[in-house]
Amino acid sequence: MDRYIRNIYKGVYTVLVGMRITIRQFFEPNVTHQYPYEHDFEKKRNVREIPKGYRGQLYNRIEDCIGCKKCELICPVDCITITGDKLPKGEQLWDSMNVIHLKDGREIIGLIEGEDKKLNLDEEMTVTNITSRQGPQEVVDRLEQSGDESRTQTISGSEVSRVVTRNPVVFYLDQFDIDMSLCMYCGLCTEVCPTECLTMIDTLEGIEYSKFDRTDLIFNFDKQEMYGKDEAETEEAAD
Amino acid sequence: MESTQQTESKIIELKPFTDEMVVNMGPQHPSTHGVLRLELRLDGEIVREAIPHIGYLHRCFEKHSENLSYPQIIPFTDRMDYVAAMNQNWGFCLAVEKLLEMDETKDFAVPERAEYLRVLICELNRIASHLLSFGTYGMDIGAFTPFLYAFRDRERLLLLFEKICGARLTYNYIRIGGVSEIIPMEPGSIDEQNYLDEIESFLDYFEPKIDEYNDLLTSNSIFSERTMGVAVMPAEMAISYGATGPNLRGSGVDWDLRRDEPYSIYDRFDFDVPVAKDIPELGAVLGDCWSRYKVRMDEMKESVKIVRQILAEGLPDGPVMADLKAVRPPKGEIYYRSEAPRGELGFYIVSDGTPKPVRVKGRSPCFSALSALQELSRGLMVADIIAIIGSIDIVMGEVDR
Repeated sequence: MDRYIRNIYKGVYTVLVGMRITIRQFFEPNVTHQYPYEHDFEKKRNVREIPKGYRGQLYNRIEDCIGCKKCELICPVDCITITGDKLPKGEQLWDSMNVIHLKDGREIIGLIEGEDKKLNLDEEMTVTNITSRQGPQEVVDRLEQSGDESRTQTISGSEVSRVVTRNPVVFYLDQFDIDMSLCMYCGLCTEVCPTECLTMIDTLEGIEYSKFDRTDLIFNFDKQEMYGKDEAETEEAAD
Repeated sequence: MESTQQTESKIIELKPFTDEMVVNMGPQHPSTHGVLRLELRLDGEIVREAIPHIGYLHRCFEKHSENLSYPQIIPFTDRMDYVAAMNQNWGFCLAVEKLLEMDETKDFAVPERAEYLRVLICELNRIASHLLSFGTYGMDIGAFTPFLYAFRDRERLLLLFEKICGARLTYNYIRIGGVSEIIPMEPGSIDEQNYLDEIESFLDYFEPKIDEYNDLLTSNSIFSERTMGVAVMPAEMAISYGATGPNLRGSGVDWDLRRDEPYSIYDRFDFDVPVAKDIPELGAVLGDCWSRYKVRMDEMKESVKIVRQILAEGLPDGPVMADLKAVRPPKGEIYYRSEAPRGELGFYIVSDGTPKPVRVKGRSPCFSALSALQELSRGLMVADIIAIIGSIDIVMGEVDR
């Protein structure tokens, strides 16, 4: 009988010790949030930010892609499919140029002056021959929208986020498909990419892209119009 | 043959009392920590035999590895023990690095900075793993509150991992010859300082919380009644079954690879190895469920200690990747083991000098621990089975591979 009562006392006491910790939580802010309804990732104090470099959905900036197929080789689950063809000898789609990505999101296409091809991001760089003639139409449109009309511009290195050197393309891509339903988000493909055109989207769009149909998860990144083909021509080929 | 005859005779002997009932527990059972199916042969509520059936999460890790190059296998090791994926990455990379070192023509060493980052991140991962083990064990036994607290703190750790490698669960962070540079962190930069400060603030927050958890669950009398003296695993039995890690130390064997066979830079840190003891005044018996659980709680404190030592020293300068053009180990074979949160994780690799291994075998600590379940559970109640599974802390991803 004595042991019985002592057991009850011990049980109640240890539960109360635990309760004291739980009670304290009443006076602290919420830890959880109503996820699909509360999307404001930055404003709320208790809601997390998606850090820079998060491994989300794969995205390929096809204008910079050289079709080296390194990503296809390194992928452990074979979720990237690339097919392409060589151009006829002597033909080329554009001259060599630099694509300068500024930190504010703009892109400038031109040639960086100077004999030294090594880029120093600490110094100013003069870009000549900024063109709307060369290069894929997409990029040109974006350039015109940004209001850059001068052909030569001096850019301070602090504004530049990165520079991609594009050599004349002799290889064009017929197909660049990524099956995101197979992807295991290891990020190996983005590491081997020599032009840094294959990236993983580290914003909310890169995380929330669920689809109702599995075939919708195969993303096509190839753009036939980039190679100067007419849209009608492309459609014909598709038929 | 002898043993089958013995069991048969036993069954005949017991038959007059009651009929045997076979109950399937799992594979879709919340307390089996994944997809474990237990075939319970019950005599009333007494378990005559609990036979684990595994293989529901088998994903052919070992066969896959034969067709992949060494760097491509690392994301697959993430999927083995998905609760402590950093340690799995490390275990595999350690084995491959040892294999690379066998090639005397090439000079190869993992940079100092990478070693520090590895220890730092793996000890944090150990805390995260033990937190999950602690939380789910409480939930199995019937206490839901500790689970929520554990996940609250684990979330902060996952955010730290996310910042350094870009993923929350399958990190692919530790690479052969160093660590990943996917999110660059220059030595001495403001990024590095911010990151280390964040870890420091987490440790300051977390250390008092361990005592809180001990108040919440460890000393709770309902919990201790369920776990103390249940399923005692003596030291000889633990060794003979190959149980390692907290399960072995819970049986009173003082063995930790980090201290006794130091790999990487563990010999530079000062930490204790918690070993369970008989505590008669509480009622805990050496080798019972409570001892195994308590070792994990104490280990979290030791991990905090190691991380604090790294923070006090600061990360050394230098690169984080060895100068390694292609991973092409020489012909040979290697078995190398490391101390993962669940025990000794070993990788056996056979190489024929090509970029792809001929054979990869993973030695999983959970598999060895699970094999002891059949003997541990004999003669106990059904409710005790839940307590045993929680206390040996298995992850089915690693058992089945």
